[in-house]
Amino acid sequence: MRIVVFVVLALIPPTLIGSLVWQGGKAPAPERAAKSTRPSGQDADADLRALFDAPFVGAKVKDKVALYDDKGLFDYIDGAAPIFIERHFRKLGAAELSTPEGSDLVCDVYDMATPENALSIYSAEKSANAKPVEGFPDAIAGPMSFVFHHGRYYTKLTAFDAKAEAVLPAVARALKEKMK
Amino acid sequence: MSDGEKKLTDLVPGSRLRSGGKAAAAPEVDTDRRVVLRVGVTAALACGTVGLGFALRSRDGHGKSKTLPKLKDHRVDKVAGATEMAIARGADAAANVRRAVAAVGGMERFVKKGDRVVIKPNIGWNRLPEQAANSNPDVVAEVVKLVAAAGASKIWVTDVSVNTAEQCFARSGIEKAAKAAGATVVHPDATAFREVDVSGKLLHTADVLFPFVEADKVINVPVVKQHGLSGATMAMKNWYGVLGGQRVKLHQNIHLSIVDLAAMIKPTLTIMDATRILLANGPTGGSLADVKQMDTVAVSTDEVALDAFGAGLLGLSPTDVGFIVEGMKAGLGTMNWRALKTEEMGG
Repeated sequence: MRIVVFVVLALIPPTLIGSLVWQGGKAPAPERAAKSTRPSGQDADADLRALFDAPFVGAKVKDKVALYDDKGLFDYIDGAAPIFIERHFRKLGAAELSTPEGSDLVCDVYDMATPENALSIYSAEKSANAKPVEGFPDAIAGPMSFVFHHGRYYTKLTAFDAKAEAVLPAVARALKEKMK
Repeated sequence: MSDGEKKLTDLVPGSRLRSGGKAAAAPEVDTDRRVVLRVGVTAALACGTVGLGFALRSRDGHGKSKTLPKLKDHRVDKVAGATEMAIARGADAAANVRRAVAAVGGMERFVKKGDRVVIKPNIGWNRLPEQAANSNPDVVAEVVKLVAAAGASKIWVTDVSVNTAEQCFARSGIEKAAKAAGATVVHPDATAFREVDVSGKLLHTADVLFPFVEADKVINVPVVKQHGLSGATMAMKNWYGVLGGQRVKLHQNIHLSIVDLAAMIKPTLTIMDATRILLANGPTGGSLADVKQMDTVAVSTDEVALDAFGAGLLGLSPTDVGFIVEGMKAGLGTMNWRALKTEEMGG
């Protein structure tokens, strides 16, 4: 039995190395929606997913909630990722929502690990032309967009038509309520 | 001990049969069978392991083992005295394309009858045209029409989207506009890539979309945007969108990787869309508060010059942008675009 185990163990490294050499050491095929598989932070992941659970004032997740960690974040926001990672970003939950009227919006909730980090990225991304939102502290709105931070979360909502834009504040309030 | 047992003894060095007594003949035969079984199982597992290695190798979906040579040089010969850069401004994006392309010699100077042409807009994002994260669909459609009118036998429009391709191609309006104008739209499915030699400073090989391997001519149609990591994304950075694989590796040395890619592609012509530009929170954007209407299209064969011009639209100096500086050092063009023979047209 020891011989069998020895032979199998001895064969695995050269086989895997051979496989990599065959591939020329290049990156694997496109993997656009890389989900995190990190075992740690499972509770935090569950909290993040739970934010999307119930319908937001009638708007529902169209397909699924995708989670991205610091490595996968480039596959979702490309060169915008480093300013999140520098601020100790933990994970992003992203989903497209559909309103009962058939309008679409994108909901991106960044778990920044701490409220300080969430405030930092909010301040860094705050558009000079966006406007504060009355009755909603720590939020700004530009046409087609609503951005706020609350607790350890930094949230960006993006609409694709006027009907979706109209529901952004209500979706933001519903999310903020869940973040408590 | 039988003859057969002796042969087995000879074949299995170190077997207990060599030192065993005659009285223990029956158990020793069982031991021999176990040895044979071990050898068989070991061989089977070894074959299985090797097979697993091959299976892992082929799971990239490409099923190829050969790296293709470098992409061909898609540029055309310069014409003495011709306008080297054209900038058209006006409310009609399609008219801006027509005027700017005409000023540099017309599409017929760059595309010959029967050519197969790939057009590369930025279709990276699940965004509307108004959000200025992608190239303008009217600009792309007009480029397709001009290429078709020049006699191209095949016109592809493609990009490797960052967000889900189906959403990006639809939301951007580019798929519909390009198809209506007569192009074949290629989505970046796993089977659409070919591995090519790059031999760059940073990149040795790359998986690129097949139209870039097969095309006779390549036309770059980037949009002008602020970019969180590289400062800006315009012509040279747009070549990230021909690649498969994970972008995080390229971003670790972004300026050199951009220059490697620009040196790899060598496009026939670049038609830069600055109809709307994204001034902040790029490359993703989303808020119209970050968008500025510029109503401008710029055309040249010099990507470095166009990027230098685009940087100015974003309020940057070309020397602020690492890949522009590196691109000029690499001999890909000049950041001093005003030194080129330039024609500017108002609305």
